[in-house]
Amino acid sequence: MNIVEATSIRKSYGNKFNKQEVLKDVNLQITKGEFIGIMGTSGSGKTTLLNVLSSIDKINSGSIKIVGNEISSMKEKHLADFRQKHLGFIFQDYNLLETLTVKENILLPLTITKTPSAVANKKFEKLAKQLGIYELQDKYPNEISGGQKQRTSAARAFINEPSVIFADEPTGALDSKAASDLLNKLTELNESRHATITMVTHDPVAASYCERVVFIKDGKIYSQLYKGKGTRKSFFEDIMKTQGLLGGQQYEY
Amino acid sequence: MNINHLILRNLKKNLKNYYLYVFALVFSSALYFAFVTLQYDPALDDTTGTIKGGAGLRAASILLIAIVSIFLLYANTIFIKRRSKEIGLFQLIGMPKKRIFRILSVENFILYACSLLIGIFIGFSFSKVMIMILFKITNINAIATLHFSVKALTQTLIVFGVIYLFIMIMNYAFIKSQTILSLFKVSSVTENITKRISVVEIIIGILGIIFIASGYYISSRLFSGSFGTMNEITLAMLTILASVIIGTYLFYKGSVRFLLNIVRKSKNGYLNINEVLSLSSIMFKMKSNSFMLTVITTISALAIGFLCLSYISYYSIGALARESVPDDFTISSSKDANLFETTLENEHIPYTEKRIEVIFMKVNMENIIKSGINSSSTMILPVVSEKDVKGVKLSEKETLLTGYNDALKGMMSFKSSGYVEIKGKHNVISQNFIGINRKFVISTAFTRTNLPSVIVDDKVFRQLKKDINPSIQNDSSLYIGVNLQNVDDSIKANKIFKRTEFDANGVNLSRMGMVASQKQMMGVIMFVVGFLGLTFLITSGCILYFKQMDESENEKSNYTILRKLGFTDKDLIKGIRIKQIFNFGIPLVIGLSHSYFAVKSGWFYFGKELWAPMIIVMFLYTILYSIFGILSVLYYKKVIKQAL
Repeated sequence: MNIVEATSIRKSYGNKFNKQEVLKDVNLQITKGEFIGIMGTSGSGKTTLLNVLSSIDKINSGSIKIVGNEISSMKEKHLADFRQKHLGFIFQDYNLLETLTVKENILLPLTITKTPSAVANKKFEKLAKQLGIYELQDKYPNEISGGQKQRTSAARAFINEPSVIFADEPTGALDSKAASDLLNKLTELNESRHATITMVTHDPVAASYCERVVFIKDGKIYSQLYKGKGTRKSFFEDIMKTQGLLGGQQYEY
Repeated sequence: MNINHLILRNLKKNLKNYYLYVFALVFSSALYFAFVTLQYDPALDDTTGTIKGGAGLRAASILLIAIVSIFLLYANTIFIKRRSKEIGLFQLIGMPKKRIFRILSVENFILYACSLLIGIFIGFSFSKVMIMILFKITNINAIATLHFSVKALTQTLIVFGVIYLFIMIMNYAFIKSQTILSLFKVSSVTENITKRISVVEIIIGILGIIFIASGYYISSRLFSGSFGTMNEITLAMLTILASVIIGTYLFYKGSVRFLLNIVRKSKNGYLNINEVLSLSSIMFKMKSNSFMLTVITTISALAIGFLCLSYISYYSIGALARESVPDDFTISSSKDANLFETTLENEHIPYTEKRIEVIFMKVNMENIIKSGINSSSTMILPVVSEKDVKGVKLSEKETLLTGYNDALKGMMSFKSSGYVEIKGKHNVISQNFIGINRKFVISTAFTRTNLPSVIVDDKVFRQLKKDINPSIQNDSSLYIGVNLQNVDDSIKANKIFKRTEFDANGVNLSRMGMVASQKQMMGVIMFVVGFLGLTFLITSGCILYFKQMDESENEKSNYTILRKLGFTDKDLIKGIRIKQIFNFGIPLVIGLSHSYFAVKSGWFYFGKELWAPMIIVMFLYTILYSIFGILSVLYYKKVIKQAL
């Protein structure tokens, strides 16, 4: 079953005279339970793709269906409603509210849907233990490490069991240990909860945790790689190769 | 793009952001100019003018400068911090500090000069309105004529020039002391270091509430007789002032957080959007702004308090005069009375006359004073006979006191019975005290004291009269009260009274004249206090608004997160509204309650009516103040809209 179905989407910035086409006819399907990575060089349009898929930005033409709902024509009020029910977000710079504790941050999405607090607490406990941040629940974001912050942010994305989670460079600000920690946790959650995760990254190591990696170049899908039954290491090498072809940065390994 | 371009562009951007600052600047310069113009106006001349308020206006203009300069300097520190990044950027691209300073100076100068010119223009046109208001509240029938005063202009220019100079010095010091790196950091150093509440904070929080409460408690006891001497009262007042101010500071420092923390704890991590936006942010912000908030609260409490008291006095002038001056006209010699009455008869104005003989005696009231602040209980009181007082019948041994108003009540209270000793030159007689009445029989202006009068039996009165001590008597022992039969005649009669050539030594008063002169005095005071209060209100409202502007931009990323999580902008604005109710409401409510307790403790010295004038003042203050809250919500709305 396809959770996300993007058909020939186009997106451009600027005015009539100075138009910059960022997405040119992109088609993308994401099936339920998939952990997909989107890669590309700077300016290739990967963040824009994520933004339009996640309803934060509007497309100029084409169609985006998430769980069967056409989001490109939705009004802002419905979009907000839609976001809280179906979408989860993880950002590069965590985007935690500094004034709230870890627990309060994680429970935030549930307050929109007015989930009863007993249910909310149960959900929190399970998820926080899974991510290893249960003990930190009363701490403020500035008292915990970057990796812990990102796991908090992940917990917030997962708490309301959204149809799809969008992660924008989640490991961008983490050291390699914390990054692999987080990616392992994400993979775990992906498997145990059948959560659909869409991650934008430029880090081939992070991408190698995905099942499929989509490469974007100049606003078009350039190629796709499937992990299949291979190991992460061999998948990583495939990614490196493709990236080399893409003209992106070459990695010494 | 050259530097001039840069300056112009900055100005345009700033004007949009700081329209309130410009407004406050225009307003304060207009007000200052108007005050100074009034001061140099012949109508206000102390010797020849119609209103004697020159000194008041001068004092007001000095206070005005103090308020305005503190405001401008404070606002400037906020602004320069906001622009630190820009300054850092200029430095980064190799612009020398001197040139950056020049850019800032020119920018500020243009902003300043324009506001000042507009302000002076408005101030001039406004000063006519102001003098008309002044005439109106002081009941003076005069046509307001104003001339443009060059003296006022130069004074205004000099004063604001000096403030500008100070701001420039501040900016210079700021630019000089910063390195490129620290400039970039200033705005990123968030004011709120989020920490969990500590035991110290809990103690501070509780102490704050205790301090305020005890201050209020002492203030409610202040004039109830618990404090005997003047020294004790002064001490008590200082204690109140100190404990309330310290309490307010601690309240912002700890109590707000402490109280909100209790609320928050009870939610067990499950905060809804309104609580996220209001509770959690206020908890941290109030603490870092506690000093500023304390100053604002204290001064607004003072401003409201003074406004209330002056309005109470103004409001009750008539009632007070009717109480303490029982007759329309008070005359102290038969000759003068005849002179006046003949004229009244010639003009066919019906009147009644009462004559009361008044002698002064030393009276020892030790036995009947329950509490009082006078150290000595023997006082010189006016004594009258019962036959001159309508509706009073006393036996030989009995004595009644009369003329007991709220102001006196604050100073001393009496037992319901006991005895008093009336001392003559040679003899001392002891009388039974049977009570005290509110009503005044003779004008306090005649007796030259606020103390009650003693009523005794006529026989006793004649006895006492033989034994008087001449050195404590008034020039005249005869009190003549003339009352008009028709109220409509009062203006005419008052004119006659003014025309009549009385003996220069006598005490001759017209109640209407007294009311008019008091109205004039209180009117000027109210006028001055009112405009000062308004200035303060606007400047403090602006400061809170600027702070909120800063805060909204600091929190912009939060709004982005929240909106991405699926909260609509309407949800957020609802939360922001609650937050602003707290942010503006807490200082307001505390200020109001401070001034309420302050006014309540001593209002009876000022007038007869507490509630109506106080509520009017507080209501107006609240309305004007909430405008700034509403403006800040609108600003937040803009920020939230842009957040996604």
